[in-house]
Amino acid sequence: MINPLAQMDYYASSGGTPWHRASALGKLLLAAGTIGLAVSAPTWVLLGAVHAMAWGLVLTSRLPGRLVVAAAGYPLLFSALFIVSRWDGTLITPLTLALRPLTASLIAAWLVGTTPYPDIFAPLSRGLPRHVADSLFLTYRALFALLARAERLLRALRLRGGWSGPPRRRLAHAGEGFGTLVVHGFERSQRLYATMRLRGHSGRICGCRHYAEASAADVWVAVAALSLAGLAVLLWRVP
Amino acid sequence: MSHLHVPDGLLPLWLWGPGLLLVLGMLALASRSATPQRVAYQGALGALMLAANALPLGPLEYHLTLSGPIGILLGPAGAFQAAFAVSVILALLGHGGFTVVGLNTLVLGAGAAVARPVYTALVAIVRPRTAMAWGTASGQAVAGGLWLLVMAATARFAPSHPGAAGLGHHTESPAAHFEVLAAFAFPLWLVGTAVEAMVAWGIGRFLERVHPALLPGGDPSVVHAEVA
Repeated sequence: MINPLAQMDYYASSGGTPWHRASALGKLLLAAGTIGLAVSAPTWVLLGAVHAMAWGLVLTSRLPGRLVVAAAGYPLLFSALFIVSRWDGTLITPLTLALRPLTASLIAAWLVGTTPYPDIFAPLSRGLPRHVADSLFLTYRALFALLARAERLLRALRLRGGWSGPPRRRLAHAGEGFGTLVVHGFERSQRLYATMRLRGHSGRICGCRHYAEASAADVWVAVAALSLAGLAVLLWRVP
Repeated sequence: MSHLHVPDGLLPLWLWGPGLLLVLGMLALASRSATPQRVAYQGALGALMLAANALPLGPLEYHLTLSGPIGILLGPAGAFQAAFAVSVILALLGHGGFTVVGLNTLVLGAGAAVARPVYTALVAIVRPRTAMAWGTASGQAVAGGLWLLVMAATARFAPSHPGAAGLGHHTESPAAHFEVLAAFAFPLWLVGTAVEAMVAWGIGRFLERVHPALLPGGDPSVVHAEVA
């Protein structure tokens, strides 16, 4: 699950499409509008059109197909449970239950794959309490290092026979492994805080301000937003 | 069973909207007592929750959440903030929708918030590792109950046709539909509670021996010196 995120993170910083150059704020607003329209579409023609537009955004962002499938297809696994539990013999219900989450996850993949995480979190953090916003930044920052460590630890556990025996023993060993990560996380947080203070931390991790700086590429975001609005107006009442 | 895998578009606005508002209010209250140093520790343990979420332990993408142990180590307020950060990042992964971030935080945070008082009550009479296992099991039980409530609401009121979401309309499903979910979820909930408790026992045993100051029942002077 995290590996696609790590790769998305890489493409977000290294991609060269207009979506990558557009401001994070514009893309966030477009993503929110698309998801809002997908979950509230009154006709399924409109839902289909919004879904097609989500595909358009993803395909033009030049993200690798396997990554998009891995990131966007994940919710389908869980939607299947709801589709089964709400089966009414029609085609429209399962289609709707599948299209809504798929549209939202495609948009999430597009957003994460074209926007570096500080630019995504910076506008979000403006609306959150200070320490909560800081916690968001620090959690994401610590994630990849900790995950690599967790994977090494589980591999070592398997190689040294710690993953054999009855489940109770295996889980206790895994717990002790996580215990080492707690201690590591604590020590890491201490070092991080010391570093932040040395570098003049003012009591707030402030995301870079260029998340709202518009560029020529924002024209494409505006075009997409206008298309979305046009779709909503034209297809709102089409059955 | 302490994390909702409900994607966007399956829950009505009247359910996820208030959940999101409630969480924002609770976060404002919870963040009042935080210090920058404490926030750095929260970030590290939040990342540990995410890492646990990323490592599948068996079929059906089953994974740990560690909400109980993190709740015990951080306390309810800190764990609630960590749960929010985890839910937001998971939503960016398509792992639970954006609209469900509030409800996800409530479910994860409830498990974490219950674990700490149970641990504190038990640690006076049993060893920290045992208290951590029981605290985690209690948190998982509560989170699982909340999870089931939200799922019941989803099964009953999930919009099944375009236009039903967010407009206050809903279609009622036969009870049998909820039973499908319950029959699938209940055994997983029981197994999940036992698994999380056993892992928490291991974490407690390790910290008890290696770094007892990190445990709430450990030497408070060391914790204050290091984490205050």
